[in-house]
Amino acid sequence: MRSGFFKQRYADLIVLTDSLTVKAWIGVLLIALAGAPLVFGSYMLSHLTVILFTLVGVLGLTVLTGFTGLISLGHVGFLMLGAYSYAVGVTRLGLPPELALVMAAVVPALCGLVVGIPSLRLHGLYLAITTLAFSYIVSAVILAGGKFTGAGRGISITRPVMLGIDLSSDRAYYWFCLAMCALAVLITLNVRRSYFGRALVAIRDNDIAARTMGISLVRFKLLAFLLSAALTGVAGAMMGMYLGIVSVESFPFLLSIEALAIVIVGGLGSVLGAVFGTIFILSLPDLVSGAMSMLSGRVQDLMTTSAHEIRSMLYGLAIIAFLRFDPRGLRGIWHDVRHAWVHWPQRY
Amino acid sequence: MNYFIELVVSGLAVGAIYGLVAMSFAVIFKATGIVNFAQGEIGMLTAYTTWSLATTLGTGAVFTVLLSIIVGAVIGLLCERLIMRPMLGEPVLSVVLVTVGLAVVLRSMVTMIWDASPHKFEVARADEILQIGGIGMRVSQVGVIAVLLLALAAFWFFLRRSRFGVAMRAVAADEKTARLMGVSTARVQAVAWASASALAGLAGAFFAVIYGLAPTVFELGLKAFPATVLGGFDSILGSGGSGVFIGVLENLVGGYLSSTLKEISGFMLILVVLMVRPFGLFGEKRIERV
Repeated sequence: MRSGFFKQRYADLIVLTDSLTVKAWIGVLLIALAGAPLVFGSYMLSHLTVILFTLVGVLGLTVLTGFTGLISLGHVGFLMLGAYSYAVGVTRLGLPPELALVMAAVVPALCGLVVGIPSLRLHGLYLAITTLAFSYIVSAVILAGGKFTGAGRGISITRPVMLGIDLSSDRAYYWFCLAMCALAVLITLNVRRSYFGRALVAIRDNDIAARTMGISLVRFKLLAFLLSAALTGVAGAMMGMYLGIVSVESFPFLLSIEALAIVIVGGLGSVLGAVFGTIFILSLPDLVSGAMSMLSGRVQDLMTTSAHEIRSMLYGLAIIAFLRFDPRGLRGIWHDVRHAWVHWPQRY
Repeated sequence: MNYFIELVVSGLAVGAIYGLVAMSFAVIFKATGIVNFAQGEIGMLTAYTTWSLATTLGTGAVFTVLLSIIVGAVIGLLCERLIMRPMLGEPVLSVVLVTVGLAVVLRSMVTMIWDASPHKFEVARADEILQIGGIGMRVSQVGVIAVLLLALAAFWFFLRRSRFGVAMRAVAADEKTARLMGVSTARVQAVAWASASALAGLAGAFFAVIYGLAPTVFELGLKAFPATVLGGFDSILGSGGSGVFIGVLENLVGGYLSSTLKEISGFMLILVVLMVRPFGLFGEKRIERV
């Protein structure tokens, strides 16, 4: 007779979850998310939509910075490339939106390969500079692109009809984003548990040791760039569709910092952390202005006149505070809370 | 030919500013092994503070320069003590990301304390034209080139001859051994931040005097990056010299090719440099056999 749970196959060891409770809760969460548009008003719905497509981009950065340990300060470059590939594909080349969305993944991925090549010779800081340079070059090229890229004016796009479903209503677009986001989360989770993802983590933890174990640094670093750029590109296209216009101004350098802040605040190298971080950082300005509205009118004036500055300052402070006091991020706090809940009243 | 000379001369002045910022990157990298992404922002904050102080006190040109050095050093010491010191011994990735956070905070602080509209940084006699060999240059432009040369000489002397400079090089070469020899890493880091911020502050103040004071002064840090990469991150003197080169290159590209290319010419250059000689022209080559 069996006397316990045995992992008998290799697949059992790396399965995403073997707990029925977790599966049930994920099902509940998905149903709740899918039903959200029927309950919430338009402000909350657009906030949720922003969270969803940001999460796709953040997952892209998680693959690169979180899993592989390569710092990128130029992720906004991939975001821009994705958005522009989609917009150019739809408006200039007359592609169907499905194909344009694929292009929004493929074009940044190819550029990611090009940016990735220096990463083979460069360590951390130098790579950060290369990616930074890359994002500036992308925006300069787009600005110099004349009619084809719309230069400074940008390209306006409408929400497409994708696979026979009209996405022009906010609800439909939310469901589309939810589906894409769920797909991205699934991809990233599966990458993390499979050979590919474990190779990336090995490179992050000790590249020399990884190499002696037979992991090709060239191949996996480039693949990490490829996947990361593709995910970020798709996020860029989704962002462009949401905004209705693709222009250089809608992709400021601050977005790269925002993505880094999310990854750090959530907890480096974890998909759950990326989810927590995205929700936290994107809701932070609203939370703070809500808290401030209880204070005097002068503070409120400041909030409205310099909203952008306060936002970026909050990102900066969040980065510093989390790195200084709890580098594990929100995921670490979640872990502690869960353990305290399970083991109460014992300490552990 | 005259056009060419004019481009080169104004490039020298911009390049001297880049050189100062590039030196400050290199000082911090050499002493602590991290890249400080907030360098341009520190320069901007110093420029604004110096502007406020100089206009209220009504100081002359020389005193304004001294003021920018002092303000820069104080800001550097504050940042080091409050934000960087607690991060000593943490992984490089975290420390670098903290400087990124610091950069964002400082940037928004400047816009919140002062405002987003551009100002004129008036310094007595800064805009007068000097004739040097038939070429007209503003006093401030000559001044920044002189300051760069002085800073290069001072750092050469400091690193070679002074006890503290040697300590700094020891920490850069091998932190553990240096500590065993009784060198205080924390003090080296503090001095590095103070002197680097003084350099960046000088650069910021001169930039503000020549091109006007606006919340975009921090881009100086981005512009000076290519210079540091070209010179080599651990070569302070090489970075200073490369700044001048990048400034002239940028101006020539802007003058003869196009203004969009001007903005990114430095970055294009470093992409090539990084692929061929990642340690820069004058940097120390690290041999890795794995």
